[in-house]
Amino acid sequence: MDIQLKRGLLEVCVLAAIRGEDSYGYQIIKDMKPYVEISESTLYPILRRLEAAELLTVRSSEYRGRLRKYYRITPLGEKRLRDFREEWEQILAIYKFITREDSNHE
Amino acid sequence: MNKQEFLDALRASLEGLPREDIEASLEFYGEAIDDRMESGLTEQEAVAEIGSVEEVAAQILSEMPLPKLIKARAKGSPSGWQIALIVLGSPVWLPLLLAAAICLLAAYLVVWSVVISFYALDAALAMGAIGGLAGTVQSLTQGNFSGAGMAFGIGMISAGLSVLLFLGMGRVSKLGVQFHRAVLRRCKNRLAGKGK
Repeated sequence: MDIQLKRGLLEVCVLAAIRGEDSYGYQIIKDMKPYVEISESTLYPILRRLEAAELLTVRSSEYRGRLRKYYRITPLGEKRLRDFREEWEQILAIYKFITREDSNHE
Repeated sequence: MNKQEFLDALRASLEGLPREDIEASLEFYGEAIDDRMESGLTEQEAVAEIGSVEEVAAQILSEMPLPKLIKARAKGSPSGWQIALIVLGSPVWLPLLLAAAICLLAAYLVVWSVVISFYALDAALAMGAIGGLAGTVQSLTQGNFSGAGMAFGIGMISAGLSVLLFLGMGRVSKLGVQFHRAVLRRCKNRLAGKGK
């Protein structure tokens, strides 16, 4: 898959992983695993980019005597998810058209 | 490798980056190892799952903006021997570096010349359109109707081509931007020690 496309998709995946409730690094990786494999070294820069773009916020919280970073989606992050849905509905419509052409030729 | 060894090695490979960037990275990977151990892995297994220190460091470095990366790579002050070698070696490396820089500059010029020439062509066509219309008016005032028809035709053709070309222009500019991005990415990957 095109690298830029995959990068963009993974950003949206991470936003989707924290949409319901705040989550932390390893939990995000586990939640995404059935759909897309992602490693810490890929996740880390994505989280930093999303934080810089104010699509999520980070807070440190104590968990069993150590600090853990929790990520929370911002309204801007939720808007990004909605925009993604709209864009992909258009792309899906195009995809349907393309695959229909295929079946006609066969 | 245990957690502390992993984090120490990571700190060493990130040396030269701003402190807060290093601390944030170490916290993140320390937490990742802790969470894995909590889910039942041993310390060694947890570290092994994170991947090699070189990979992790290369990934972090390649995400840094170029100036930070160069600073990180030029870490520490050079020893006397290194300074002597750099000075003595300058007849060799200076021309080579210069040549490389000039080649890169030439490549940039070629790409941007293409972009600029398209813009120039479009501007010329737009002028042609204006000139054609001016010629039409002038010929009409002189009562030269066939001349007016020709000037009008030339003006319309120029206008049409100019508009069509303008529509394709975004794509041509993108070519230049893409070229620049590719060069930047290669430089960064080289410096970060990532890649093929």
